[in-house]
Amino acid sequence: MEPVLAELDSVSKSYAGIPVLKRVNFSVRAGEIHALLGGNGAGKSTLMKILAGLVQASGGDVRIADAPLVPATPAQALAMGLYLVPQEAHIFPNQSVLENICIGLPKPAAAYRARVQELIAQIGVSLSPETKAATLEIADRQIVEILRGLVREAKVLILDEPTSALTPHEVQTLFARMQGLRAAGHGLVFISHKLHELRAVCDRITVLRDGNVVLSANMDQSTDSDILTAMSPGVTELEARGAGRQTSSEAVLALDALSGEGFVDISFDVRRGEVLGLTGVVGAGRTELAETLVGLRPRTCGDVMLEGQMFRANSPSDAVRQGIVHLSEDRQQYGLFLEAPLFWNASSFVYDRLPFFLRPGTERKRFARYREMLGIKCASPDQPAGSLSGGNQQKVLLAKCLVAEPKLLILDEPTRGVDVGARNDIYRIIEELAAQGTSVLLISSDFDEVVRLSDRIAVMAGGHLAGELPGGATTDEISQLAFEAREVEHA
Amino acid sequence: MLERIARDRVATLFLVTVAVLSLVGLAAPGFLSAGTATIIWSNGLVLMLVALGIFPVILTRNIDVSGGSILGLSAVVLGLALNDGFALPLALGFALGAGIFAGVVNGLLVAGLGVPSIVATLGTLGLFRGVMLITTGGEWIEELPEALKSLGAKSFGGLSIMGIITALVIVAVWWFLRSRRGRWVMVTGDNREAARHLGLPVRRIELLAFTWAGAMYALAGITFAAQIGFVPNQAGNGIELRAIAALVLGGISLLGGVGSVGGVVIGVIFFTSIDTSLVFLKIPAYWNDLIGGAMLLGVLLIDGRLRIALEARDRAARYRRGSQAEQKSRPLEDAA
Amino acid sequence: MKRYVMRWEVLLLAILVVELLIFGMINPRFLRPSSLLFGTSDFVQVGIVAVPLTLVIIAGGIDVSFASTVGLAAIAFGIANFFGLPLPLSLLVGFATGALAGVLNATIIRLTRLQPLVVTLGSLYMFSGAATVLSGVVGANGYEGIGGFPAGFTALGYAQVMGLPMPLFVFLCFAAVLLVLLHLTRFGRLVFQIGLNENAARHSGMPVFRVQLMTYVLTGLAAALAGIMLSAYFGSARVDLGSATLLPAITAAVLGGASIYGGKGSVLGTVIATFIIGYLQQGLQMSGVPSQISSALSGALLVLVVALRHGAALLREFLPERAAQAN
Repeated sequence: MEPVLAELDSVSKSYAGIPVLKRVNFSVRAGEIHALLGGNGAGKSTLMKILAGLVQASGGDVRIADAPLVPATPAQALAMGLYLVPQEAHIFPNQSVLENICIGLPKPAAAYRARVQELIAQIGVSLSPETKAATLEIADRQIVEILRGLVREAKVLILDEPTSALTPHEVQTLFARMQGLRAAGHGLVFISHKLHELRAVCDRITVLRDGNVVLSANMDQSTDSDILTAMSPGVTELEARGAGRQTSSEAVLALDALSGEGFVDISFDVRRGEVLGLTGVVGAGRTELAETLVGLRPRTCGDVMLEGQMFRANSPSDAVRQGIVHLSEDRQQYGLFLEAPLFWNASSFVYDRLPFFLRPGTERKRFARYREMLGIKCASPDQPAGSLSGGNQQKVLLAKCLVAEPKLLILDEPTRGVDVGARNDIYRIIEELAAQGTSVLLISSDFDEVVRLSDRIAVMAGGHLAGELPGGATTDEISQLAFEAREVEHA
Repeated sequence: MLERIARDRVATLFLVTVAVLSLVGLAAPGFLSAGTATIIWSNGLVLMLVALGIFPVILTRNIDVSGGSILGLSAVVLGLALNDGFALPLALGFALGAGIFAGVVNGLLVAGLGVPSIVATLGTLGLFRGVMLITTGGEWIEELPEALKSLGAKSFGGLSIMGIITALVIVAVWWFLRSRRGRWVMVTGDNREAARHLGLPVRRIELLAFTWAGAMYALAGITFAAQIGFVPNQAGNGIELRAIAALVLGGISLLGGVGSVGGVVIGVIFFTSIDTSLVFLKIPAYWNDLIGGAMLLGVLLIDGRLRIALEARDRAARYRRGSQAEQKSRPLEDAA
Repeated sequence: MKRYVMRWEVLLLAILVVELLIFGMINPRFLRPSSLLFGTSDFVQVGIVAVPLTLVIIAGGIDVSFASTVGLAAIAFGIANFFGLPLPLSLLVGFATGALAGVLNATIIRLTRLQPLVVTLGSLYMFSGAATVLSGVVGANGYEGIGGFPAGFTALGYAQVMGLPMPLFVFLCFAAVLLVLLHLTRFGRLVFQIGLNENAARHSGMPVFRVQLMTYVLTGLAAALAGIMLSAYFGSARVDLGSATLLPAITAAVLGGASIYGGKGSVLGTVIATFIIGYLQQGLQMSGVPSQISSALSGALLVLVVALRHGAALLREFLPERAAQAN
């Protein structure tokens, strides 16, 4: 048996009394790639941050190369030969790519230039070491993070979802590098949601659920269904699509050749009581389109009609007054007032309809109504929104939208970071809303979700409308539209 | 053009300074001379040292507004020590020690306790000024020995000893920021979380930046006392604001991570040139604050609008480039 | 959250009582109602600017220029009076100057998107410069300032309303208005929400700039009020009338519970903190401590308060379980 390079021994962690990791054991051996899997909020990222010294464990031991990680700081973990490539790239915007990669290494950046260039060539990306990092796109930022890990030749390398923005070709070369490191006796941890990726490179697998290890086995000894059951037993299946709806043919919203930042010449309509799925890959221009509609971004040209009237919003409150409500994809940054009471949050779209002298009693009662309707689990309307779970926070945001009684509801990734149970609830709510005559523009990168909910599907790619599909289209058909145009050119 | 002005701040400001000086030279004959140049340099010494002190603090995305008070405190320590009969080197050591101690207090509050730097240093601004007043009992310190004054008097080639030391400090800072550890200061302000992630001792870096600032304020205090020969109660009052203004003017971003020593130097020289010109133009001294403040706000306004315009352009370019690149090749893998 | 805020204010009140008792023991004259009441005239101007400053801080900004606005508005008022404008018009000039200062601050902050501290530092500098130049224009020297106010006006500085000295009465009324405005109205809700999460506020369509502008204008108006009141009290308008309010006012807001990161604070807390700071300076002076020390104390107090708060927060991080129970 190869020696253990890094080990977590019955590690626990709780935030404000809520346990997120419960006595977890985990280890990486020399010459292996260890897959770490689990649903949202299972504790994968926290576990790895503890291993890298970025987060302090509440209990248990962390050992790297048989020595305890003391003090538990990232500097110490690095010195002991461990590097974590985080899920979201940490970039120094005002430094060059080369400096970004080499900061913290023992020699000045210039000493590593050749090595970095060699790695860039091997992975096959076009990235100049002299580029200022502020100008990099998300995918290139992630590549910089991966290069940081590779240049450091850490004895233990943790990769937290490194492939989410990479092309298949880049993914393959990354895998080749990982296998090379494995052959050289390094230990790697690979976090991913994509089972086929894990199968391609990993030797062992550990599955976390609710802060517990629920499966730990060799990769070739566990079947896909073992792994899926371990991740989410019971409610594995999302509820099937409800009975077909009758939708009217009357267009509530009609876009005519709309262009703006990140999208060009988009035309489609959303009908009364319909869920229109707007999908595509990250960076296809969907979010920009939504933000342009409600006046958060400038519109360059094109027309929008709302119920047959010319529509233009200068600000989200302008849009709300005219009947369009938009829920941002980033719940914590753009949606919630985490430290404010729930009923403040619920009233925040309609602040201008509140009386000048506030009547909190009325607001609390209104919140209670929506709380019942949406099944929000909370102790009191005065509780801060940040104290709720992700799923309940998302429902509070839905309440915030519904209070404004919109004609058209734009939901951007409404189930991101939400567990399966709450996801079912949110699906039901969306269907009920549509049944009551509200039109919904559903933006989502989850093709299954789009198929499950939409009456019609519009697919965007590279800022253009790639095509429109009827309800009941398959995810394959969507993928084809979302990727096809570019795959042709890539071939 | 827009880009040049914003991107190459040092050169632009240099040209503006030359233009202003030439205009003043036209209005006040005899202004343009080597003599004026040394006057500007020596008039700007105190401001230069204070600005060099705040510079690394701002690079780490913090701010220090206690500079004037630390300057005053160090000058008072120096003056009292000298008048109590301590030898000059020892007294200089005390003054430097006082500045460093005050800097460490700031650094511990910010890096140790996590107090927002603006609140912490606003507090110590009052605290150190008070300590200084208590030490002197509100009296001015006068009759400082000639040995001290000689530090501020012209000696080599029109420069004073303090002037030469300042020039050396400038070179040292320039050299340091190019070094591997110098980068650490820049990147801590650029993205603190990333710096921590890459194992940099961010708290120690912040603490050292404030400590350095304290030491520089002390040098400024020494220069101040040497130049005017006494220490008034209000020594250094408000100089931190002028230093911050000069830094902003020189292209040092208050959001951290951006700036060069060249920018510090030219920013300070520009400000001092204006002040010196006002004297030559015989504008009454009570106009100074108004002109200084209006200039600072004007610079902030122009600087801010330029930055916003550039950002908008960069963003537009990125979207254009992005959509072209999308069409060319970046087939993402199927999300199934 | 509400319960926590209440507890902080109760604690402040307790500190105030203890402070008064200690000074009373050192010097029994201190506790005489008349000295407690009329002593306030020396420091209520701090509270008058600290209360709207609390609103600025809650909305995510900061303003340090008020210290110069006090003098600038007073000088503008004095000059208007000097040129023979009737009193109401002169007052209007003074208040308009203050409001304009606020508009200028908010507009520059908005246009440059720079930290409010830097912008208002610049205007702190410029406003006092403008005041100096203006008073130079009418030939007043720095120490005497601009005098020659009608006797009826200067008498106001020493008048009494319902047994309260005029400055205290004005302060309490002003604070009461802002208390209602911040804690009971839609405007106040917006102030809090913008400070808690400016991005979310913008995405919810809230008028972020308009609300922030209002908070700066309120601070400018309050500074003008303080300047005019002090002119009445001293009988002349001077450039440096407000310079001693800078640190105490910020200390009062922070001590009163306002978070420099925005979203937290209360008018009542700031009011109590004003009295704590004011009586501390007075008590020390009556106990024979030289006046220089009391100026240092404002700074020391500010440092101490924030150090304690952040120290306590650090401690909580190390004791996560207990903190969870305490909530």
